[in-house]
Amino acid sequence: MNRLLVTLALVGSAGAVMAAAPPANHRNFVACPIVRDTSTVPCWLAEYEGETYYLTIQTDVSAPVNPPWLGHKVLVEGTISDEPRICGGIVLKPVALSVMQELDGSCNTMLPAEERYNLPFEPPRPPGPSKGRLAFGDPVTQPKSEQLETSKSFELRYEFDSLVMFRHAQPLQQIFEYARQSNATRVQITGYRAASLLSNGQLMQEDKQIGRRRAEQVAELLRGAGLTEAQYEVKWQDEAQRAKGVADAAMRRVQVVVSR
Amino acid sequence: MLKAAVKFAIGIGAGLLASAVSAAPTGDRVAGHVPKQNQQARQAPIGDSKSPPANRWWSPGEGTPLAPLVPYPDSFGQVGVLNAAGAIETRGHPFFEPIGTNGRACVSCHQPANAMSLSVEMIQRRWHETQGKDPIFAPIDGMNCPDLPPGDPKSHSLLLERGLFRIFLPWPPKAADGSSIDPEFTIEVVRDPTGCNLHPKYGLKSANPMVSVYRRPRVAANTKYFTHNGFGVFSFIGKNGLPATRDPETGLPSSMNILSDARQPTLKTQAVEAAITHLQFDGKLDEERLARIVAFESQLYTAQVSHNVAGSLIEADAPPGLGVYNLAKGREGLLGNNVTNFVFPMSEAWQKPAPSSDPEIQRRNEMRASIARGHDVFMFRTFWIKDAMHLNTVGLGNPTKRTCSTCHGMHMMGMDIVNGWMDLGTTNLPWAREEPLNPWNERKPQMPLFKITCKAGVPPHPFLGRVFYTQDPGRGLISGKCNDVGAIVMQQFRGLAARAPYFSNGSAGSLRELVDFYDRRFNIGYTDQERDDLINFLSAL
Repeated sequence: MNRLLVTLALVGSAGAVMAAAPPANHRNFVACPIVRDTSTVPCWLAEYEGETYYLTIQTDVSAPVNPPWLGHKVLVEGTISDEPRICGGIVLKPVALSVMQELDGSCNTMLPAEERYNLPFEPPRPPGPSKGRLAFGDPVTQPKSEQLETSKSFELRYEFDSLVMFRHAQPLQQIFEYARQSNATRVQITGYRAASLLSNGQLMQEDKQIGRRRAEQVAELLRGAGLTEAQYEVKWQDEAQRAKGVADAAMRRVQVVVSR
Repeated sequence: MLKAAVKFAIGIGAGLLASAVSAAPTGDRVAGHVPKQNQQARQAPIGDSKSPPANRWWSPGEGTPLAPLVPYPDSFGQVGVLNAAGAIETRGHPFFEPIGTNGRACVSCHQPANAMSLSVEMIQRRWHETQGKDPIFAPIDGMNCPDLPPGDPKSHSLLLERGLFRIFLPWPPKAADGSSIDPEFTIEVVRDPTGCNLHPKYGLKSANPMVSVYRRPRVAANTKYFTHNGFGVFSFIGKNGLPATRDPETGLPSSMNILSDARQPTLKTQAVEAAITHLQFDGKLDEERLARIVAFESQLYTAQVSHNVAGSLIEADAPPGLGVYNLAKGREGLLGNNVTNFVFPMSEAWQKPAPSSDPEIQRRNEMRASIARGHDVFMFRTFWIKDAMHLNTVGLGNPTKRTCSTCHGMHMMGMDIVNGWMDLGTTNLPWAREEPLNPWNERKPQMPLFKITCKAGVPPHPFLGRVFYTQDPGRGLISGKCNDVGAIVMQQFRGLAARAPYFSNGSAGSLRELVDFYDRRFNIGYTDQERDDLINFLSAL
């Protein structure tokens, strides 16, 4: 009950309104993450309405889904898969995780390893040194030279209410390299504000200024990295009302169009 | 008398020169924060100094050639300094000559006997040899604050007790082009035992607002490794997506691993700043001297070359991760946190030495095996790493079950292979070492303490919240980012036995204290065996 109250309060502060519920096979909720040790890498879980959901495992920086943080709540936006449970949790796949920015000391559950919850597969990355490669390829690899088009579009995706973070280094590098190689004269940047339709029917909206801030930050970062010759067109758009409870995470984005 | 005249002339010229430097910081390729430092360096007094020769000590301008390989005794054996380019003629060399106004040379704080850093044991010895007159005790940064009484050990307590020099940085921070950065946090001085942060002339509220923090000199050797352009060095920082600092001459991104707050992108720009701030050099070093300093630092390698018990570390059959020769021929820009390269490769001969009936050889072999086990503790002993900014926040989750080599992954160095600042808690409370306050302890806190408040509109620090305390804001003093406060670029692991104390603030007096910090910080629970093996391993690097 306490957890529910805390969740509602948090959702309220992020800007929540009631809307239609997402499809039944989707689970979108805010909760404390839980980490469970295993005989290899830990797995990450969260509870919602009395059920445990499996979110992901620990791998490395190249992972498409990164584990959340104890000390913070997490926004989970996932689809229930038909895979067998992992670490005791119903598997959400695909899943998007957003660490909530404010600290929450109540999110501190670490569960010990239990034989019955050991991973049914070998993790892509052990809990120590790798076997010589990143689990999912190099996340910040130098883009290869490619055929240069008149214009090319790129997209950066964001966690809820967040700006650029570690995982944006690679796409920013790709934009930067493409712009340099193509002698770009124009960079159009559009930042989007979005929302997430939660399983309880509430619409959890991002900060009103986040679309603008995202767009302006990307422009500032590209300039700061040395892309100063191009002309920048920076705009932002509010798409908070488009949330349907399915793939809402993909709406939190910045679109960059680089033109010659 | 001459010194007084020089000081007077500098005083007269200070205003004019300061404005000139401020007016053209980028054209002159001086980093944005340096002109402000220059102003303070000119304000600080220059004491009488003398630097007579002494055993193991390199005095500025002494003119002794530096041999291709020089071994020096240390607490675990011998550290070596290898000049890959051969013998170096130091007479007239800008690294060895007192090119500034306070009698110091670069070598003053980067002593070969201390693995090109400076141990507190050496500092204390030098204090006694010169009655505090050696230029390393210069008021500008060898004193807790420049206007304290000279010759009094209390005026130099941080240097004498913890090996710390004062680093003064403008507040608010300056961007590379000299413009002011609007910081994400406010900084309030809540404890100022050195008197410098509240000082009317040198402090935060002076006409030239400065924050004073106190840091150890870093190792000026093995530089190819921490200036690499290999794994993880791109235009955008892999830890936060922000632009990396760039070499002002080439425009290429820097690995940002030279200084503890990554404020200088290249050895050359570092030398420019160090000459102004530490040597009180009047202006910008000329290209020729800068080139010679960079060339010297780029061919210099330092590491432990022999171990009191384990024996030689530079024999042909020594493990490939040990000794100066292996270091010189090693490959830079390589991630070692894997089982194909390893951070410090060991050898089977050390891991499983053959038994011997000779007790001396048996004892040596047991130590070698302990060092090899320590390597395995470093590489494979997992523990929960929690609340470490720029580690837990880069996709591994909080906590993450990993090993020492997760963070210390740079092949042959043990630094972070990518832009290397992290907050492990060495300067941020509650983990930083603080003096226990109670009625029975007469010692007072030595380090300054700052209250950091992340401004409304920016996220709080992910693990410390919106308000927290630090002895040194680290990278935050350069970036102005709330989540960079207390994040420090990690130091290399080579020559550790010759240069205690450890961490940027000298808070670990020995290798045991260093290991104990991690044990406490991450609740590792090392066994005695693991701890001893790890210390032996570190002592052989």
